[in-house]
Amino acid sequence: MKKQFIRLTVNGDTREIAVAPNQALVEVIRDQFGLTGTKRGCTSGSCGVCTVNGAPGEAVLSCLELAIEWDGRSLTTIESVEQNGQLSPLQQAFWELGAVQCGFCTPGLIMSAKALLDANPAADAEAINEALAGAICRCTGHIKVKEAVARAVEVMAAANAVKEGSDGAQG
Amino acid sequence: MQLPPFEYIRPTSLGHALELLAAPGGRAAALAGGTDLVIAMRQRLSTPAVVVGIGALPELKSFEVAEDGGLRIGAGCTLTFLAEHPVVRERHPSLAAAIRSVGSRHVRNTATLGGNLNLPTRCWYTNQSEDWRRARPPCFKTNGDICYVIRSAKECFALNSADSATALLTLGARLTIASASGSRELPLAEFYRNDGLAPTTLGPGELVTAVHVPAHRDRTAFIKIAPRTGLDYGLATIAAAVTGSNRKVTSVRLVVGSIVSWPAPLPGPARIIEEGGLTGEAIEAAAEAARGDLGEVTNLYSSSGYKRRLVRALVRRALEDIRRQKLPAREAA
Ligand SMILES: Cc1cc2nc3c(=O)[nH]c(=O)nc-3n(C[C@H](O)[C@H](O)[C@H](O)COP(=O)(O)OP(=O)(O)OC[C@H]3O[C@@H](n4cnc5c(N)ncnc54)[C@H](O)[C@@H]3O)c2cc1C
Ligand code: FES
Ligand code: FES
Repeated sequence: MKKQFIRLTVNGDTREIAVAPNQALVEVIRDQFGLTGTKRGCTSGSCGVCTVNGAPGEAVLSCLELAIEWDGRSLTTIESVEQNGQLSPLQQAFWELGAVQCGFCTPGLIMSAKALLDANPAADAEAINEALAGAICRCTGHIKVKEAVARAVEVMAAANAVKEGSDGAQG
Repeated sequence: MQLPPFEYIRPTSLGHALELLAAPGGRAAALAGGTDLVIAMRQRLSTPAVVVGIGALPELKSFEVAEDGGLRIGAGCTLTFLAEHPVVRERHPSLAAAIRSVGSRHVRNTATLGGNLNLPTRCWYTNQSEDWRRARPPCFKTNGDICYVIRSAKECFALNSADSATALLTLGARLTIASASGSRELPLAEFYRNDGLAPTTLGPGELVTAVHVPAHRDRTAFIKIAPRTGLDYGLATIAAAVTGSNRKVTSVRLVVGSIVSWPAPLPGPARIIEEGGLTGEAIEAAAEAARGDLGEVTNLYSSSGYKRRLVRALVRRALEDIRRQKLPAREAA
């Protein structure tokens, strides 16, 4: 089984790495990029802890992807969500509402919710349910998680309204 | 679970992919979205020598809408793309609902329609890790000579759970199937067999390249009963399509999924509605008649008695739902 070189960009960091055909994307992210926020759970598509974002708005299960198919592509992981030491509105809401207990599922839930909000910033309860159905939390019971995503939607809408208001005042 | 070793080839064109799949020995497998095949490889249910990555082939990504609302869907279109496409949602709502019921949003983002139609049949005793399976002698599906679902059986009862297939069958879909030596068209109704070991008529080296959905003005329904609304395979599903008004029904198609080894048509109940119209009485009779068309129903994943009751309830619900739907407007536009 020959290794092949692929060019993969993770959180803006582009690397040429040698991968074997049977390496899953999650292994490359964790073992070759050293980004262990993305978890390895069921490795069969049914828990969501390995979720990363491919295109903006696209939640991808990195346990079901062959790394070799990601030649020339880019993705983002949980490590990219905090910016300059600032939690994103989603992370902040998870923290404030107690949507995190043991935390193992949290990166996958945040990346699932982030994919949703990147595509649909005004997501309603139904859209939130759909986006999170494939990401399982064994501790919180999911209620707090859904509340946190809904809170992030509100916070982001309010921030945008303020921004548009001040843009308008300047213009 | 580590994946077994294999060579990976990304074909440069559909023709190249078909050549690779035609290689003698049949040890090459097509990987589309990989949401089933990667798991099957982890579980050593599939151990191809060569994996041909067809997921990015532009020839399989096309999506065309005819003027009348009919569709030609490339087999490589993702389920998320299809479930969200306005024409699929508006003109073919039961298909959109069936597709949206597959797995989770995460799964649908990479899963393809071609992969869904070719989903291998599933069984509690087979779709497990290799270690789990090794605890007992292999069954028919793993090259042994016993069925653990029905001990006395001489055949395999693994279930067909491909959700899009039921809806597509009721809509009269056709497939384009290609191999290195040419291509053919086939009604989807001739694609499946009620056989756990050989559930489709796809030949070695063949790929489904496109799915054609004719324009229609039917009233349709799709219902899935599963342990959880997101993520789970169905315990039972139904797709239904009715041509005509409640009083003058001209044609009815009913197909149930996840019950036997193929998406099972229910011609008996359909005929009752065609003859009696969409009345409460005929619907009741159709629901009662459903079990007659199912053949042997096993205890696989849930008890056979429960499954028969589910099918009866689903026939009733789907037809009641359609009876309440307004007739589509005369003009197709
Ligand atoms: C957690 C989870 C839940 C799921 N729930 C459901 C569900 O509820 N309902 C359901 O129907 N499925 C479900 N699935 C199974 C699977 O995700 C879907 O059936 C999916 O549509 C398969 O498509 P794919 O492109 O990923 O197929 P792949 O895994 O790439 O391929 C599946 C099989 O089809 C063959 N194949 C792929 N494309 C073609 C083609 N064009 N022509 C011929 N053969 C082809 C492959 O060789 C392989 O044998 C689930 C999977 C997971 C992980
Ligand atoms: S590890 Fe990928 S879905 Fe569970
Ligand atoms: S917080 Fe423990 S699994 Fe979700």
